[in-house]
Amino acid sequence: MSDTTPLCPRCAHETIEHITGSPVPGVWEVLQCVRCLYMWRTTEPARRTRRDAYPEEFMLTPEDIGTAPEVPAVPPLRLPGAGAATR
Amino acid sequence: MAYDDFRGFLDTLRKEGQLLHIADEVMPEPDIAAAANAAPRLGGHAPALYFDHVKGFTDARIALNVHGSWANHALALGLPKETGTKEQVEEFIRRWDTFPVAPEWRGNPLWAENTLEGEDADIFRVLPLIRLNDGDGGFYIDKAAVVSKDPADPEHSGKQNVGIYRIEVKGRRTLAIQPVPMHDIAQHLHTAEERGEDLPVAITLGNEPVISIVASTPMEYDQNEYELAGALRGAPAPLSRAPLTGLPVPWGSEVVIEGVIEGRKREIEGPFGEFTGHYSGGRNMPVIRIDRISYRTDPIFEHLYLGMPWTEVDYLIAANTCVPLYKQLRRDFPEVQAVNAMYTHGLVVIVSTKKRYGGFAKAVGMRVLTTPHGLGYAATVIVVDEDVDPFDLPQVMWALSTKMNPAGDLVQIPNLSVLELAPQAITPGITDKLIIDATTPVAPDRRGTYGTQVRDLPETAEWLARLRKLTAAR
Repeated sequence: MSDTTPLCPRCAHETIEHITGSPVPGVWEVLQCVRCLYMWRTTEPARRTRRDAYPEEFMLTPEDIGTAPEVPAVPPLRLPGAGAATR
Repeated sequence: MAYDDFRGFLDTLRKEGQLLHIADEVMPEPDIAAAANAAPRLGGHAPALYFDHVKGFTDARIALNVHGSWANHALALGLPKETGTKEQVEEFIRRWDTFPVAPEWRGNPLWAENTLEGEDADIFRVLPLIRLNDGDGGFYIDKAAVVSKDPADPEHSGKQNVGIYRIEVKGRRTLAIQPVPMHDIAQHLHTAEERGEDLPVAITLGNEPVISIVASTPMEYDQNEYELAGALRGAPAPLSRAPLTGLPVPWGSEVVIEGVIEGRKREIEGPFGEFTGHYSGGRNMPVIRIDRISYRTDPIFEHLYLGMPWTEVDYLIAANTCVPLYKQLRRDFPEVQAVNAMYTHGLVVIVSTKKRYGGFAKAVGMRVLTTPHGLGYAATVIVVDEDVDPFDLPQVMWALSTKMNPAGDLVQIPNLSVLELAPQAITPGITDKLIIDATTPVAPDRRGTYGTQVRDLPETAEWLARLRKLTAAR
């Protein structure tokens, strides 16, 4: 892994978006994984920014994301005059 | 004394020696959160922290631990900083008796100095965002008061809500919010989503300190937080209308973010190191679109570290969790003397009560579980006699060690509701609950071999006051 093409530290996805840079130019960048939405600053410790140092207990897999519970649950639609609830 | 804005309170903290200005350059991570993690370990007089030299920022101003000690909590209520915990709770109860106090509407709000709208409403341009705990999914805003209305009854000011919820920054104009199903904003969102609508919200940051206290108080659904703020302040809460949504917001806030919770949308959020001292897992949660940001020139970002208790959040939700439970219990059971619900937002509640007859204490315990807050939080209730101070844990332990017999004094109720963040639940949101009756049995409950209890000598109270005075004068 190189600093110019980082993997997502959390889910290892390869598509990373640049969100913003430091007001003092060139000090740090804020990056985000487009899959798990993890966001980090490039000057944070390696345990938060590097895939090879990221703690296993915080890692997310695509399955984790796909099966994450919905909180709060989206209720059935109850449009005026629609009668029985639909979803 | 009532504060009209956040900066007025910071001035008082500074004058009282309760604000520590860290002038050295610090890293945004992990320095600021680590300092705030450490601050409460300085004890009951821990100071607030103020950072204004943060690497990579040109004009960051970040305040943390503002409510993070009993001294600061006392000053927020306009009390001397030496005021004891129990005395602060008793004063909170007295002031609540003057509820409701109508707010005062004011023009020219302080946050109207600067505006970003539409595509320009980039939160990174306004706030020096930082990560708190290692496993957090991103940068959080966790000390903002979020204002919303009941879409089915928008003119009912009591049904509007002002609450503090965890908010993750998901993008320049995108946030996530956690409306726990037991909370009022979740009811607002439920109604909006049933109708297929978005829910307008105003997120106010850097508020005068009583606003943070009322926003984290588990009030009843139709009670108005601003009217409680007036009672606690001893003066009406100054409010203004947010320009885009028309929602009522504090006049003196540092920043007001307006937008909507997008109806029927969920997206991956978290994890976040929560008030339980454990991380929530990643969950699909509602999404906020930012449409407008209003802010004071050179805004101060008020933030809050939370982790394994005690941290600032435990001070913020200590007294204000005890008092509504006390008020609600007293309606049905005037025998209740005091309520200590300050451990983990009331996951444990300790109640002292007189007994009408045998079995009464268990009834009080069951009532705790069915209060609005108890439905989501109270997992263990300990009931003690009227002469046990529930804020004095050695006394509570004495009651447990001598009054409680598991044969008949442990009531376990299966599969009750609890907030999904409660780590002990096997199925998130559902747990067994426990009432521990640590009161002395009274007729017709004739268990135990209780003879005559040793009581304080009649002169002890007088000597306590005398010794305190002599100790303070040393």
